[in-house]
Amino acid sequence: MSLAVEALPGLRRRPAGRRGIQHLARRFAHNRLALGGLILFVLILLTALLAAWIAPASPIKTDFGAYLQPPGPRHLMGTDELGRDVLSRIIFGARASLEAGMISVGLGIAAGLPLGIVAGFYRGRLDDVLMRLTDAMLSFPQLILALAVAAVLGPGLAKAMIAIAVVLMPVFMRIMRAQVLTEREREYVDAARAMGAADRRIIWRHLLPNSLAPIVVQGSLNVAGAIITEATLSFLGLGTQPPTPSWGSMLNAAQQYLTQAPWMSFWPGVAIAVTVFAVNVAGDGLREIWDPRTR
Amino acid sequence: MIPVLFFVSVIIFVLINLVPGDAARLFLGEEAPPDALAALRRELGLDRPLYVQYLRWVGGMLHGDFGHSFKDNRQVLATVLQKVPVTAELAAAALLIAWAIAIPAGVLAAWRRRTAVDYFASAGALTGLSIPNFWLGIMLIYLFAVHLHWLPASGFVPPAEDLGRNLKSIVMPAFVLGVVLAAFVMRQLRSSMLEVLSADYVRTANAKGLGERVVLVRHALRNAVIPVITVMGIQLGTLLGGAVITETIFALPGLGRLAVESIYGRDYPMLEGVVIFSAFAILVINLMVDIVYSLIDPRIKLAGGTS
Amino acid sequence: MRRWGSTAVSALIVAGLMAAASAQGTGGSATLRVGLDADPPNMDPHRSTAAVDRQVYQNLFDKLVDTDENLQIVPMLASAWTISADGKTVTLTLRQGVKFHDGTPFNAEAVKYNFDRMQDPNFPSARRSEVLPVQKVAVVDPYTVALSLEKPYSPLLYVLTDRAGMMVSPAEARKAGTNFALHPVGTGPFSFMEKIPQDHITLVRNPDYWVKGQPYLDRIIYRPFPNDNARVANVKSGDIDIINIVPLAQIKGLSQEAKQPGARFKLIEHGAFRWQGIWLNVTKPPFDNKLLRQAFNAAIDRDAIANVVLQGAAYPAYSFFPNGTPAHDPDWKVPRRNVALAKEKLQAAGRPNGFELTLLVDPTLEGQSIAQAAQAMAADAGIQVKIQIVEFGTLLHETDTLAHQAAVLGWSGRPDPDFDIYPFVTQSGIGSFNNAGYTNPRVQTLLDAARLLNDMNQRRRAYREVTQILADDLPYIWLYFPKEYKMMSMRVQGFIHVPDGMMRFRTVRLGQ
Repeated sequence: MSLAVEALPGLRRRPAGRRGIQHLARRFAHNRLALGGLILFVLILLTALLAAWIAPASPIKTDFGAYLQPPGPRHLMGTDELGRDVLSRIIFGARASLEAGMISVGLGIAAGLPLGIVAGFYRGRLDDVLMRLTDAMLSFPQLILALAVAAVLGPGLAKAMIAIAVVLMPVFMRIMRAQVLTEREREYVDAARAMGAADRRIIWRHLLPNSLAPIVVQGSLNVAGAIITEATLSFLGLGTQPPTPSWGSMLNAAQQYLTQAPWMSFWPGVAIAVTVFAVNVAGDGLREIWDPRTR
Repeated sequence: MIPVLFFVSVIIFVLINLVPGDAARLFLGEEAPPDALAALRRELGLDRPLYVQYLRWVGGMLHGDFGHSFKDNRQVLATVLQKVPVTAELAAAALLIAWAIAIPAGVLAAWRRRTAVDYFASAGALTGLSIPNFWLGIMLIYLFAVHLHWLPASGFVPPAEDLGRNLKSIVMPAFVLGVVLAAFVMRQLRSSMLEVLSADYVRTANAKGLGERVVLVRHALRNAVIPVITVMGIQLGTLLGGAVITETIFALPGLGRLAVESIYGRDYPMLEGVVIFSAFAILVINLMVDIVYSLIDPRIKLAGGTS
Repeated sequence: MRRWGSTAVSALIVAGLMAAASAQGTGGSATLRVGLDADPPNMDPHRSTAAVDRQVYQNLFDKLVDTDENLQIVPMLASAWTISADGKTVTLTLRQGVKFHDGTPFNAEAVKYNFDRMQDPNFPSARRSEVLPVQKVAVVDPYTVALSLEKPYSPLLYVLTDRAGMMVSPAEARKAGTNFALHPVGTGPFSFMEKIPQDHITLVRNPDYWVKGQPYLDRIIYRPFPNDNARVANVKSGDIDIINIVPLAQIKGLSQEAKQPGARFKLIEHGAFRWQGIWLNVTKPPFDNKLLRQAFNAAIDRDAIANVVLQGAAYPAYSFFPNGTPAHDPDWKVPRRNVALAKEKLQAAGRPNGFELTLLVDPTLEGQSIAQAAQAMAADAGIQVKIQIVEFGTLLHETDTLAHQAAVLGWSGRPDPDFDIYPFVTQSGIGSFNNAGYTNPRVQTLLDAARLLNDMNQRRRAYREVTQILADDLPYIWLYFPKEYKMMSMRVQGFIHVPDGMMRFRTVRLGQ
C-alpha cells in the first residue's frame, strides 16, 4: 500500500572498485566537518578499547568515604553516590554505548539485508508477505516493540541490543529492497544474465556492492539513534546491568541527585551528545560523497 | 491494511505471552490461594489454550469488543479512546513545533548554504538529535516549573475545559518530542532543497530572471516538501515511541504510558488493544500521507496491488 | 464497516466524557491534590493487592477499627469490642447511624456480608488468607457482630485496621459483582467520583459523614507520578500538595531546602514502618548452606548503607520489626561489618576463595544503588555478586517459583508484628510470602503461640527468641528500615502523620 519511495533522495549509483573508493575517500577528506566527526569518533572508539589503560581508577570500585564529591583534583569529574570515579565510568561507559550503537545496527543490517535482497530480487508472493510483515513491524511504536522484546528476552545489554536490532531490521530491509528494485532493471544485470550468470552471482557481485551506499549512510545515522535508545532502555530499567557503566544508566542514576550532584548528569549527557554528534556528522559526510549535488 | 494488522496482532500476542510472569498471580498477589488463582484464570480466560485465546480476542475485535482490562475489568476500547485525544494532541503539537523550527531553519540553511547560518542551523539540528529526550524533559521541568514557575510541572487539562492551561501543560512535552522530529525534518528539507535548487528547471527559472525568493518559495520549497512528508510518515512510529517517555515524565494520561504500564502490569488485553490501535492509526496516517503525496505531485501515482 | 460504526460510537463517548469532565472543573474551593508513586490499579479493597491502593481507600472506606499516630487501635466503625476469655470470640459493637455513600445503612448484616465476600472461594479475594482464622460471623443484633475463631488470634484487630476491615456497601457489591472496582461505595469521609486510569482519581466530600464537621476538604484528586523526580518537582512547583513516597536519595537535599526561609514545602518524619533487604533462597545452592549465608551477611556494612548510600534516610535493620513498631527491640545490637568473620565462615564451608551468586533487583534507582553497594562489600570477602535487573513482574515470578538465588526485596509493613513476620518464615500455605523457602519447626511453634497470646509483652518475648534464631539462620539479610517521610506544601494543615505511611485526610484543611 505504500509507495516505492527511495529512502534518501538523490542517491545515485557510484562506480565500485578500488579507484572509486580512493576517489570517494579523498572527497570525504575535503569535508572538514565530516572528517572531524570521523576522527572524533575514532578517538572515542580508541578510548573505549584502551579504557583499562586510560582510566585513572576502577569504574566499579566503591569508596564510601568519598561519595558525591564535586569535581576536584582527585576525581576530575567528581564521584557518584557510591564513591566511584565518574571520569573512569565515563571512559568505560563508552564501551557499552558504542557496542549498543554498532552491534545493534550491525545485527539489524545482517537481518534486514538478506530479506531485502530476497524480496526485491524475486518479488512475487514472498515479497508480498515480507512487505506486510515489515509494515506490521514499522507500524508498532518503536519503543514499545523494543520494550516488549526486551521484556521477553530478559535483562542485559546483549538482549537490549537484540531488541533494538529487531526494531531496526525492517528499516534496512525496506531500503535494501528499494535499491535492489532499481538496480535489477539496469543493463548490466541483463548483460550478466545474457552471459549465463547464476542469480547468486548477480546478487553477490553486482547488485550488492551497488546497493550498499544508502545502507551505509542509514546505518551510520542509526548508530546515533541506537546509542540514545540504549540510554532510554536503561532509563526504563532494561539494558546494561550494574555495576557496568553505560552513559544511559549513569544518566538514569544521576536523576535522583540532580540538585545535590549535578556533575553526575552533566558528564554522561555531554558524552552522549558529543558521540552522537560525531557519528551524525561523519554519516552526513558519507551521504554527501555519494551525491555531489547536496554539497 | 488487513494483512498488516493481522501480522501486528500475531506479533503482539506472541510477544506478550512470551513475557515471563503469571498474570493471575500478579493480580492476586502472593496472598492468593491456589483455588482463587484458578478461579481468576478462568475468569480472565487464561485457562484456555493459546490459539483459542487468540481467536477469541480477534473475534471480539471484529465485533468492536476489545476485551476488558485484567486489572479492574474496564473496557479496553473505551480506555484506549480516552487516552487518544491526549497523545494525539501531544503528537500534533510536537509536529507543529517541529515544523515551526525546521522549515525556516531548513530553508535558510539551504538558501545560505555553507555559510555561518547553515552551519549554525545544522549544528542545532544535530544537537536536537543528540540529547536523550528523558534528560531534556527533566531539565525543562526543573527550569520552567520549579525555578521559574512559568509552566506546570505536569498534568493534562482537556482543551475544552481550560484552553490556556491546556496549552501550558502541553508546551514542554511537545517541545521535547518535537525537537527530535525538527532535527530530522530540517536535515531532510535542507538536503532535498539543495537537490531541487540545483535542478535544471530552477536554474532555468533563475536564468529567466525571477526573483530569488520567488524561485525559492514557489518551486523549490514545494518540490522539496515531498520527501519531507515521507520522512514524517516514517517517523510516526518514533514519535509515538518518544511519547512513551515524555508522557511518563510529564504525567500525561496518554497511550504511551498506558502501553508501558500494561507491559509491566501484564495487562494483556489492554496492551494488545493499545498496540492494535496505534498500528491502525499509523497505517491510516501513512495512507493519508501517500494520498497527499500523490495530490501534490501528479507525476506520482499510487502504487497498485503489490507495494 | 462495523468497525467504523463502533469507532463513531466510541468517538461520541469520548466527546461526552470530555464534556462531562469539563463540567466538573479541576479545582474547587478546597481541593487537595495528591501525588502517588504509582497508579492504584484496583478500587475494590477485597481484591486489591497493591500497596498504593490503600492510600485511596483510607479516605473512601472506613474500617472496623483504625490506628492512631502511636499505632494504637482506636474505634472506627466498631465503637467497642470485647474478646472472650478463651480468646475465641471477638464481639464488635457497631456504631449506629452510619450510612454508606449510596444511602444504605451500615449494620451487622453488612459486616457479615463483607466477611462472606472475602471468604467466598468463587470470588478470588486477596483478603481470604487474612481473615482465614474467622470461622463464623454471627449477627447477634442489628449492631452487634460476633466473630468466632478456631483458636485465639491476637493480630485480628490489627488486621481489621487495614483492607480486611474495610466495609463495602452490600447493595452495590451485589449489584456490581466484580465490577465493584469501577464504582466503589463505602462509608468514608469522601465518596468516589471518577477514576481515569493513569490520569487521576477524584473523591468528593461526604456531607453525611458520621464525624460531625469532618471532612473539611471539598475534593481530593490523586494523580500517579511513577517518576521520582517529577513527583518531587510537582510539590516544589506547587502543582501538587502532598506526595506519599519521597525518594530516599533526595531526602538530604530536600530537608536542607525545607529549612530555607520562604520554602514552599515542608518535610516531616515519623518513625519507620517498612524494611528492605536481600531475600535468600535456602532451598538451593549456594544459600542452602547456612555458613555461606552467614558469610554473605557478615560482609555487609549496614551502617554504610543507611548513612552513606541512603545518607541517613533510613535505620540499619536487623530483623522484621522497624523502629517504632511494637515488636522492635531497641536493645538489639545491629551486626557490624566483619570481613574476617565472613572469611572464617567461608573457610568453614570449604570455600576459602569465596563463591558466586546472582542477585535480582527491580529497576528502581534505590534498589540498584543498594545492590551495587552490597556487591562491592561482598567482593572484599571474595564473594562475587552478579546483579540482574528484572522488572517487577518478572521478579515476583522468579521469587514465587523459588527460581532465584537472592533478590533485593522489601515489605511495606503492618502495624501488628505478626503480619510482619509470620508469612515470611513459616510454611503457612496460603498467604505465604515465604520466598526464602525457609522452614523451622521451633520458629513455627513460637509464632503460632504468639498468635494465641493477647499480651504484647509476652508476644515480644516470643518474637525476640525467633529473631535470635533467624539472626543465626539468616534466610533474609535485613538491610535497612526506610524512615517514614511525607513531603507537602505549606498550605496543608492538620495532617496527622501515622507511621504506617497511609494518608488520612479527614482532619486536613488547606490554608494559604
